Order: sequence, then structure tokens, then C-alpha cells
Amino acid sequence: MEILRCEGIKKVYGSGNNQVTALHGIDLSIHKGEFVAVIGASGSGKSTLLHILGSVDKPTAGKVIIDGTDLSKLNQTQAAVFRRRKVGLVYQFYNLIPTLTVEKNILMPLALDKKKPNREYFDNVVNSLGIRDKLDALPSQLSGGQQQRVAIARSLIYRPALLLADEPTGNLDQKNSREIMDLLKLSNRNLEQTILLITHDEKAALEAERIITMEDGRILNDERRR
Amino acid sequence: MWKAYISGYIKNNRSAGLSVGLSAFISALLLSLLCGLFYNAWKYEVERIVLEEGGWQSRLIGTFAPEDIEMVSHFAHVKDIVIKDLDGKVTQKEAGAHILDIYFDAYAAVFSDTPRMADLTGTAPQDIVYNYELLSMYFIRDANDTAPRLVFPLFILITVLAAFSLIVIIQNAFAVSMNARIHQFGIFASIGATPKQIRICLLQEAAALCAVPVIAGTLFGIVGSMVIVQLTNRLSDGIDGRHQSAFGYHPLVLILTLFVILMTIFISAFMPARKLSRLTPLEAIKNAGELQLMRKKNSPILTLLFGVEGELAGNALKAQKKALRTASFSLILSCLAFTLMQCFFTLSGISTRETYFQRYQDAWDIMVTVKDTEGDTFQGTNAVQNLAGVKSAVVYQKAKAKRIVTEDEISEAMKSFGGFSHASSEFVSKTDAGYLVNAPLIILDDNSFVAYCEQIGITPQLDGAVIRNQICDVTNPDFRHPVYMPYIKIPPSGKEAVSVLRQAENPARTAEIPVLSYTREVPVLREEYASYDPYELVHFIPVSLWKEIKEPMGGLENNLYIRILAEQPVTLEKLQNLQEEIKALMAPDYTVTCENRIQEYETNDKQLKGMLAIFSGFCVLLALIGMGSIFSNTLGFVRQRKREFARYMSVGLTPAKIRKMFCIEALVITGRPILITLPLSILSVWYMLKISYVNLEEFLKEAPYIPVALFMLMIISFVALAYYMAWHNIRKISLAELLKDDTML
Repeated sequence: MEILRCEGIKKVYGSGNNQVTALHGIDLSIHKGEFVAVIGASGSGKSTLLHILGSVDKPTAGKVIIDGTDLSKLNQTQAAVFRRRKVGLVYQFYNLIPTLTVEKNILMPLALDKKKPNREYFDNVVNSLGIRDKLDALPSQLSGGQQQRVAIARSLIYRPALLLADEPTGNLDQKNSREIMDLLKLSNRNLEQTILLITHDEKAALEAERIITMEDGRILNDERRR
Repeated sequence: MWKAYISGYIKNNRSAGLSVGLSAFISALLLSLLCGLFYNAWKYEVERIVLEEGGWQSRLIGTFAPEDIEMVSHFAHVKDIVIKDLDGKVTQKEAGAHILDIYFDAYAAVFSDTPRMADLTGTAPQDIVYNYELLSMYFIRDANDTAPRLVFPLFILITVLAAFSLIVIIQNAFAVSMNARIHQFGIFASIGATPKQIRICLLQEAAALCAVPVIAGTLFGIVGSMVIVQLTNRLSDGIDGRHQSAFGYHPLVLILTLFVILMTIFISAFMPARKLSRLTPLEAIKNAGELQLMRKKNSPILTLLFGVEGELAGNALKAQKKALRTASFSLILSCLAFTLMQCFFTLSGISTRETYFQRYQDAWDIMVTVKDTEGDTFQGTNAVQNLAGVKSAVVYQKAKAKRIVTEDEISEAMKSFGGFSHASSEFVSKTDAGYLVNAPLIILDDNSFVAYCEQIGITPQLDGAVIRNQICDVTNPDFRHPVYMPYIKIPPSGKEAVSVLRQAENPARTAEIPVLSYTREVPVLREEYASYDPYELVHFIPVSLWKEIKEPMGGLENNLYIRILAEQPVTLEKLQNLQEEIKALMAPDYTVTCENRIQEYETNDKQLKGMLAIFSGFCVLLALIGMGSIFSNTLGFVRQRKREFARYMSVGLTPAKIRKMFCIEALVITGRPILITLPLSILSVWYMLKISYVNLEEFLKEAPYIPVALFMLMIISFVALAYYMAWHNIRKISLAELLKDDTML
């Protein structure tokens, strides 16, 4: 089942002589349960692609359809609701709310919809991520690896159609990086979570079943490994 | 969840909350004070109208049968009627010519019901009178009332302007608090918070921060307006035409005040909240709230004075320019307004003292105004002059008259500055015979006129006039140091001098009176001559002569004056006792009002001090807004400043040098209002001295050095405290943490 489809996505920044084209007509299709890694050098357009797929940015041209929703037709509010329910975002720098406890950070997307959490699923997620004993802590009381687990838990809490991870191990040591990648794989396997991982790290990319290589805003290679 | 976020933020960022709370408190205080004062000003006006005109809303004048009166009194919306005779005295319900004062319980019905009453009672439309002034105080206007009733529009305009100014000033406090968390709201947006949810969160946070300050500010404002009303009552006690009005406060005023305050604060919070909620998640999440320069800037003076720390501090200030805008504006404005106001009041005090109190110091101790009395029939002269404690008492009255000054009569000195060539037609008219000028008559009681004749060294006579023969050079604008010269050529001795007075209204009616003397010396009275009309030729005459010429002349003023000099030593208590004695003496036959010099001086002094205190209070409030904004900036941007300083430290800047940077910033923030205020104040004072002709030395002797220095010291101390507290929060910098961690707050 196709969960994501991009048709000719183009993204241009600036105007006149300062115009920079970040994406030159990207076509992409991802199916439910796939674990896809996007790799490429700095400036290759992978972060821009992630922002567009996460509906935090809009393409200059082209169409993005995720779980049947055409992102280009959403206004600001609809895009926010879409992000909340359909996309989970994990950043390199965690982006947790410093004044909220771990539990409240994780439950935030549900709280925005005034929904009560499914305790069983919540327990499953926090246990899987190994943060059960940190639920009352503040982000500043956690290590980098623990903060990233909280960020992943938050991104999974709404059971999104697509989990977008932007260099999730970029700020972590080797041990923590390994653990985070294992967790992503676990969620992909156990929860059938579709994941799009953006990374510099080729070793991390090798964990994915499909690797897309980008260069100068174009897809250079799309390799299915398994 | 939002509740948890808001309470967490408020708990962890008390300083940012303090500045928002302080802004809300000051806004509530000012608006509540304004509304309380306006309500009392409105109440005073209503009471004044009721006292002067009566509290009726409409009035019918005509001949009414008792049943007509009965019918009017039972008309719907009529609360009461008062029946008066045509002289205005309350009378009984009987047939005849009456005035019916109608009191409505629903004022809106006045203009519809009164014509119907008139119709039913046969009253002509021109005999309907409306109390337009009173009705306009309740927003009830009629097309026939063309007078500009400006009380309400003025109140509304001032309140709107005040609210608008406060919005401009306090929205910055909200903006600083909100913008410091753009990154966090970016995170919220990235996980699906809608702009509306973010906006509501920010507004709920503003409501939580402002609730207590708004209530406190409102209450303090009410208390402040009560104090000002009572102070005004005390200062205006005894002033003619003013009544004492007790402080009042209506529940509707409280509702209106709260509405205005809440709207002001809502708009102030809504503007930055809307702006922030409209940012795309990408814009917000990329924003680390860093204080950045958009373009390259130089701070040559600071660099020259303090080296690299000066340059860094200058750039940091420029990066904070937007956030510091309110603070700079408020501090500069308050400092400038306070200094100028102090200088103005000092100058005004010097000027009043010189032109009034010192000038008339020995001219009067008590002035009695006897209402609606003619000097030639006044019976109290001897009684007042013989009162124990009275050194001298002059009973006098003024009358309007004119006379012709021929070309030959003009003195050579007056001709030297152009004679009547500069005279306005309002004062002087050219006729075939010469120039028709005002010749006001000062009619002295006979005893005083005799004493005046002796004072100027002429043989006392009660059949002639003494003419004030003095004119000032009208071409010299320095009113404080006028150049005087003779007005009229004194006729050669032996030639009989006469003055032909003409009635002011009808110059054809004349009275010829002998001139006893031309002199520059005037009787000791609290009068100013030729101040409005420099060409007036004042005639002093005895009341005996007035009796003879009053028939053709007319033009007598209604009131009679008694100027009293008391026996030395003169004290306030002594003058007050003497005043009471005079009032008791006159009470059976005359209506009198009294004023005394010492009391007037003290009242004037109190009024000046009261006004100064009120204006100073406003300046201090304005400065508080500025200082609150400084606190919110210095304490609100802790995270950003820590990162900024961490970067400096990573390239080798020592904590001591960073502290120096902080000191330079504080110095610039406090120095700017002072450096702007001082030259502008010097220029303004120079201009005020120029137009008021007060000597610089006199001003410098009394210049408000201490209050201005204290005000500036207050600003310096608060800014220093804000920076000290900020430094206290920032100084413990963990370089490694700061340069990598972006979740810390």
C-alpha cells in the first residue's frame, strides 16, 4: 500500500539573481512499513525534502500525497493537524519542550487533539524505548540519548503514517546511536511503522531496507537492499 | 497540557513574568486612574450644572390650569415637577403664569414627551426650555442644541489615546516574553499545534500573568483618583465658582474601566501572539531567539572609549534595538518630560512670584469684593477704615470711559516711538479731533483720594481727577523690564487743565472734569494699569466727583473693591481673623467675598506643588514602564545572552571582560536618556527664559537640580540593578553545555 507519493517536487529559495533551487523535480513513492534512508552530502536537498514531506515547508511546484492527503492543498491549520496525526518528526537536536516533563512531552500531540492516551500503547512505547523511569524528569535532566528516545516516543504516540527522522543520531555517541537505530528498526518491525531516515551516516543508512542517494537536489540512486 | 506548559513557564521564568505583570499593573493603574478622574470630573460638571441651572431636564413656561399641572405630573416617565412663579420662586399648584420644571426618570424621553406635554397644555414651542447642558452629560443630544458639548468626546479621546499609547508601550513586554520562546513554539507547531492553539496558549498565559496585576492596578487607580479628587478639593477650597464635590465611584465605571484595561492588555498580548503563531514551523524552529544583527554596524565611540568590549556591547545593543525600543522610548520621554516639567514649574513659580506676589507684596493684604454695589451708596467705608488691625483701607470701583488725546497733547517721548502709530483699532480710534482712547476711571473713596493727593504732593481737592501720565515703549517686547515715559504733555502752569470724559458706549455724551495733576505715581492698589491696553489713560477720581458725573458717564462695574493693608506684623492667622470681622461687618447688607495675600500665596504654592506631584507621578510611571522593559530584556534573554557570551568565551574573552561589556551596556542605556535630555532641556530653558524675560541667574539659583538628579539616579539605579540581576543569572557559564545544548532555558 502506497503511503507516500511525490510527483515532480521542486523547491526554489530566494528570487532574481539570488535564486537557489534546492530540489529539481523529485518523484518518490514509499509503501507502508518501508524503512527508507535518504543519504547525501550537505546541500544535496535531503533536509528540504524532509521538511516538505513533514508539511513544515511547501514545495514551489509538484505534489506530495501522504496517506491520501495532498499536502499542497493544506492551509496552515490543516497542515498542523496533519503533522499532529499523520507525521512523526524526530530531529537531530531533539526539540523537546524544556519546561514539560518527559511524559507530557510524549503526550503533547494527543493533548493538542484533547485525546486521552491509550495507556497500553503508551506503556508499550515507553517500555520499548527504555524511558519508563524517566517519565517525571525534565528534558534537561536527561542525557542526549535519553532525550532522543523521548523525541522518538513523542513521534510515535499518535501512530503516524510516516516517521521522519532528520539525523537522529547526529548528536549522539556511538553507543547511543546504535541504540537509537535499533529502536527505529524495532518500531519499523513491530509496529509496522513507515520510516524515512535522513542521514549523513552511511553506517546508519545501511540499517534501512531502501537507500535513496541525493545530489544537487536530485535523486541520484534509489537502491532496494532487501 | 497547556496549563502544565504555562504554569511551568511562569514558574521557571519569574523575571519575564514580572515585567509582563508590571506592565499590566501600570496600564491598569493609569487607565483606572484616568477613568476614576473622568467619572469625578463628569460628576462635578453634573453637580455644577444642577447648582447653576437646576436639575430639571425640561421646562414649560406659560399659564397653566391646576388640571394641566396635574396632567404633566402624571405623564409617563415624569418623576417629579416643581412649580415656580415667573421670578423663579417655588409656588403652589394654582392657576396662573408658571414655570414648570420637569424631572424625568427616563432622560431619553425628554425630547419626545416635552413637546407632547406642551401641546396638551397649550404651551407655545418657544416656551419650551431644555436643559441641554445637563442632558448632554447623559449623551442625550438634540439637533436644536448646536453648542459644542465636548466633555464626553474629550474624555473618550483621551482614554483612547492613553489606551493606544499603553498598547504601543506594553506590547513589547509581551513580545519579549513570547519571542524568547519562538523555538519552543516551533517545536509545538512541528508536532501539530495549530496557529490558533498557539495563540490561545499565549493569551491564556498573558491572562494568568496579568490577572493579579490588573486587579491591584485597578484598585490602586481608584485610590489614586480618590486622593487626587480630595487634593483638588482641598486646593480649590474657597475659589470663587467652585463647589466641593465628594469623591464618587459608580459600579458601571468599574465595569467600563475593566473593559478598557482588558481590551488594552488583550490587544497588547494579541499582536505579538498573532505574529508568533503565524510563523511557519520551519521559521520558528530554526529561530534560536539569537540576538543578531541584520547588517554590519559600527560603534566607533564605544570602541574608542572601551576597546573591543565597547564594540561588542555596542553591537549587542544594536541587536537588541527592537526589544529595547520601548525601554529607550519610555526612559527618554520620562526623563525629558520630568526635567522640562521641573524647569517649567520653577520658571513659572519665579515668574508668578515676581509679576504678582512680589509686585503686590505691599499693595494689599486683604481684598474684599462687594457684589452688586455702587460706591456712592456704599455705607461701610468708615467702618472698615476704622477696624482695629486695619492700617489702611481704600474703597474703590472702576468705570469705563473714553477721552480724546489730540496730536498736540502727545508727549515728545511718546512721539519718539511713533505715538499712536502702533496702536490697534481695538484700543484707539482716530477721529477728526484726535485719538479716542480708553480712559478708565478708578473711583476712590474721598478719604483715600485725599490721602492720595497728599502722597503725590498736591493740594487735596474732591472736584478733580489725577491722571496717570505714563506709557511704556510698546516697541520694546521685554515686558519684564518696560521703558516708561510721559504720555501727555503737561500744560504750562497757570493754564487750567481739564479732561473731557466720554461715555464708553456713546462718546457723544461727555463730562468735563478738572485735572488736579498728571503723575506717574499711582495709589497703592492691587491693580495693573495699561497691561492689556497700553494706550489707556487712567483717571483717579474721588467718589464725590463721580456722583456728579455718573449720570452722563455710566459704565460703572458691578462690584466694589476694598483694598486693605493690615497693621504689621502681618500673619496668616491675623488676616483670617480680620477677614472674618469684615465679613461679619458687611453680612447684613452686602454680599462679599474675601481673599488674603498670604493665603493666596500658599494656595498658589500648594497648587503648583500638587500639579508638579501629579505630573511627576506620571513621569515616574512612564519611567517604570521603561525600567520594567529593561528588566524583561535583561532577564528574559538569559539563554540567548549565555550562548552569546559562551561564544565570546570560547574565543578567549574573560568573565571580567564580559562583565565590563555588561557595564557598558547599562551605561549606554542610562546615559542615552540623560545625554538627550540635558541639551534639549538647556535649549528649552533658554527659550523659556527668553520669552519670559526671567534672568538666567535667578533661574540657576532655583533650578531643580536635586529632583532631576534624583530622577536620573533612580533610572541609573534600576538599570544597574536589572543588569546586576542579569549578570547574576548569566555569570555561571558552562561553555561545553552552552555550545551544544539547545533545550536549556
